[in-house]
Amino acid sequence: MAEIVSVLAVAHAPGATGWLDKAPKHEQDALLAGYAAMGEKLRAARPDVIVGVANDHLLNFPMESIPDWCVGTADRWRGPAEWFRDWVNIPTYEVAGQRELARHIVRESAKRGFNLAFSDKLEFDDNWSVPLKFFTPEYNVPLVPIHMNCVVPPLPQPERCYEFGRMLAEVVRAWPSQARVAIMGTGGLSHDPGGPRYFAVDEKFDRWFLELLGTGDPKKVVREATIEKMIAAGDGGTVELLAWIVALGAAGGRAATTDFYVPSVPLRCGMGGVSWPL
Amino acid sequence: MSILNTDKTLPANKLIFEVRRDAALRERFRDDLEGLMRDYGLSEEEKAALRKADIKRLGELGMHPYFLPQVTRLFKGAGYNHNESDAARLYAEKMLKEKA
Repeated sequence: MAEIVSVLAVAHAPGATGWLDKAPKHEQDALLAGYAAMGEKLRAARPDVIVGVANDHLLNFPMESIPDWCVGTADRWRGPAEWFRDWVNIPTYEVAGQRELARHIVRESAKRGFNLAFSDKLEFDDNWSVPLKFFTPEYNVPLVPIHMNCVVPPLPQPERCYEFGRMLAEVVRAWPSQARVAIMGTGGLSHDPGGPRYFAVDEKFDRWFLELLGTGDPKKVVREATIEKMIAAGDGGTVELLAWIVALGAAGGRAATTDFYVPSVPLRCGMGGVSWPL
Repeated sequence: MSILNTDKTLPANKLIFEVRRDAALRERFRDDLEGLMRDYGLSEEEKAALRKADIKRLGELGMHPYFLPQVTRLFKGAGYNHNESDAARLYAEKMLKEKA
């Protein structure tokens, strides 16, 4: 059976690769050191495949039909989507998928009450492009991307996200394979694309959220980290932390360790990452 | 405006969704915005707001917030999108104009 060797969650805002030079030196240094340390930890776990969960950003799912979660089932992925390439400032890359695991996740989730969409055609933006650039710059670890709806209500509630994460870990562990699997949520922390606080970061909220994840009390997390609070901390962006709640579920609700946190107005995002001891 | 007030059925939402995914449509956005808006069935209010990149108004009409900075990037370019970039300045000008 497959083994989960790493669970982490990290910000993916495009400024980290697109215009990092516009942030003050201390922010640049802290951010680069944070991503580097997380990447080292991830690679040290020697994952054969990364199962990622992140906001679809209204890139693949049209307004007409938006699933809560959609599993990428292709053998091979290419990013960034053309129009986002300049924005994230990352050249075109390819990364392998893991079709058998992806299909297994879709099939087995259906038996556990989760109706997951699936697709061989998903375009990537900052959701994968930014974390992969820092964590696996050689693109040598296959990715099963799970795109989720974090921004078009009705959204999956935190409790459902937590349950999804728990179920996902169970299903991954039941995959008949010797694979070592990492589970990675991406998105957040506070940011407000499309709102009046586009040029602001809610550091108070971010620090509160990181502390909450450190409690090791998942019931408290899903009770207190409500969608309403996320929206209040940055409409349309902060709600990506739902993907972190999925990761929390995959980690069995354990206490997370904050690997870094850099509230950056020049990057228009609270940048940070956490990992869970397994 | 908020993700909670998005009008999923707003024609302008469909237009922006598809333009970002299709280079040929981006060319039309640049060269024939009027024809594009007509083909997608935008209302006169939507057309007037999009013509002027009036993202605040587009948000009030039900455009998804996530699309609003993308509208400014469609007009001003997506690369090197720092806070003083043309796209970010257009965002500030249009979104924060009536802020006290």
